[in-house]
Amino acid sequence: MTPDSRDGERLWVRILVPVVAVGVVVGLWLALVHIYNIAPYVLPSPSATIQAIHDDWSVLWEGILLTAKEFVIGFAVGTAAGFMLAIAMAQSRWVQRALYPILIATQAVPIIAIGAALVIWLGFGLAPKVAIVALIVFFPVLVNVLDGLATVDRDTVNLARAMGASSWRIFRIVRLPATYSPMFSALKMSATFSVTGAVIGEQTASSTGGLGVYLTEQQSRLNTAGVFGDILLLAAMGVTAFALIALWEVWSTPWRRRSTAPRRHRYTPTTPSGPEESQGVSLAIASPSSHTQPAAFN
Amino acid sequence: MSELQVQGSEQTAVKLEVRGVAQRFDTTVALTTTSLSVREGEFIAIVGPSGCGKSTLFNIVSGILRPTEGSVLLDGKDITGEPGHVGYMLQKDLLLQWKTSLENITLGAALTRRVTEADKVQAAALATKYGLGEFLNHYPHAMSGGMRQRVALMRTLTFAKDVMLLDEPFGALDSQTRMDMQYWLLTVWAEQRSTILFVTHDVDEAIFLADRVVVMSPQPGRIRQVFDVPLPRPRHLDMLTDRVFTALKRATLELIYEREPAFTGRDEK
Repeated sequence: MTPDSRDGERLWVRILVPVVAVGVVVGLWLALVHIYNIAPYVLPSPSATIQAIHDDWSVLWEGILLTAKEFVIGFAVGTAAGFMLAIAMAQSRWVQRALYPILIATQAVPIIAIGAALVIWLGFGLAPKVAIVALIVFFPVLVNVLDGLATVDRDTVNLARAMGASSWRIFRIVRLPATYSPMFSALKMSATFSVTGAVIGEQTASSTGGLGVYLTEQQSRLNTAGVFGDILLLAAMGVTAFALIALWEVWSTPWRRRSTAPRRHRYTPTTPSGPEESQGVSLAIASPSSHTQPAAFN
Repeated sequence: MSELQVQGSEQTAVKLEVRGVAQRFDTTVALTTTSLSVREGEFIAIVGPSGCGKSTLFNIVSGILRPTEGSVLLDGKDITGEPGHVGYMLQKDLLLQWKTSLENITLGAALTRRVTEADKVQAAALATKYGLGEFLNHYPHAMSGGMRQRVALMRTLTFAKDVMLLDEPFGALDSQTRMDMQYWLLTVWAEQRSTILFVTHDVDEAIFLADRVVVMSPQPGRIRQVFDVPLPRPRHLDMLTDRVFTALKRATLELIYEREPAFTGRDEK
């Protein structure tokens, strides 16, 4: 078997293509500003944007830390909640039937409306922002994990049962890994949107700190370069989150991309024909000469 | 009429005994009172149209299903309704996509206890012996259907090599691969001295592989007849045209298709 073509692709090619694509976008931006001579308060040039980030870096850095904190905690809480609820719902069709419409209804409510209510309930601290991010991640994770659990073949579960496995082992070995791929799809999907969630949370439920608050401030001052700098940083945060999740996915689901196991999962025989052979179940490891197949069928 | 005693003259011990087993689902009778004795190391093929109770019988023997009546004995011990005593394999390989061949082969251990280094060494040796040496660390998606079925059989063998239930294991394979797999299975069976119950739709396959062919009929599901296959071992391809083979095939087909005489076509019977 040949390895996947993805494995064979050169690393620098895989890095170069997106870098060039980003370069093209920046180039177009630059060209637009200079050719049409657009005023800096309408569309600042890339250099002005970078300059704005540089000038206000100490404030922005604080903002990055705060927004990232809201994002990470909210993401973790939302993922855990969605995952656990999906597993609970998969245990019983009745629970699933009862909860599904309610959960869909919560998704139809605009986040901003919830934001206002959350301020009343949770105050102006970290909690309402975490809650908003968690609410955004929660639903895709729930739906995808449920789908993953539904893909497990009944016959596979029966086989495991026929092998004498307990329900817990069946869950851990047969059902749980089936949720990984769909769960990562959900996480990647919500990674970028969760950044927006954190910003919305800050704008509806904050007076100080965070990139969302900074955005509002610069907007009110008509500091377009500052707004763009902030947007750039938010985009970078989303891309970083996405990339980290994608890396985690590649690492934890090697079977999706590879034809053979990575080294850490690989079996390599120690010394051939160790002393273990003679003990326990006799599997009659004899000389391979005992094959009775005619040559034509080899 | 389906009370069947050991017909052969050999004096090998009875390995598996299905004693007066019947299964009803609500009002439908899936399997009428059925008995079958299987000798140690015997290869039994079960043929019959769909709805003849093959799968029901399988589920009962494997212990997933507790029959309405009767009992299943393994080595004289009652194992009715107790899973975990016999190996079980279907047409679908049911390999876990996220596990390598070796991890799939040792699945039985993983599901009930810890997989030890000795488990891995034994599984690797077995797999290597039967042509899976280069595929130990492959994921199922990277292997052909035939190779995957080999892994599935190795998983079954590692879990319970004494008695294996194989439900149309080669049904999804192309005929060339299927032939290879039949030879391969006979090799494994002969060397590992397993007792095999093999369900198939393919009468050729049944006669080619088995010591005895059990013909089942539907409505209600029951055993119609059991044929001894007097062909010598090891089996070879040219036996498929042997007169003994064709006579047996004709008798079996007549039993299966007796309600559809159109099947015989121009044949004068």
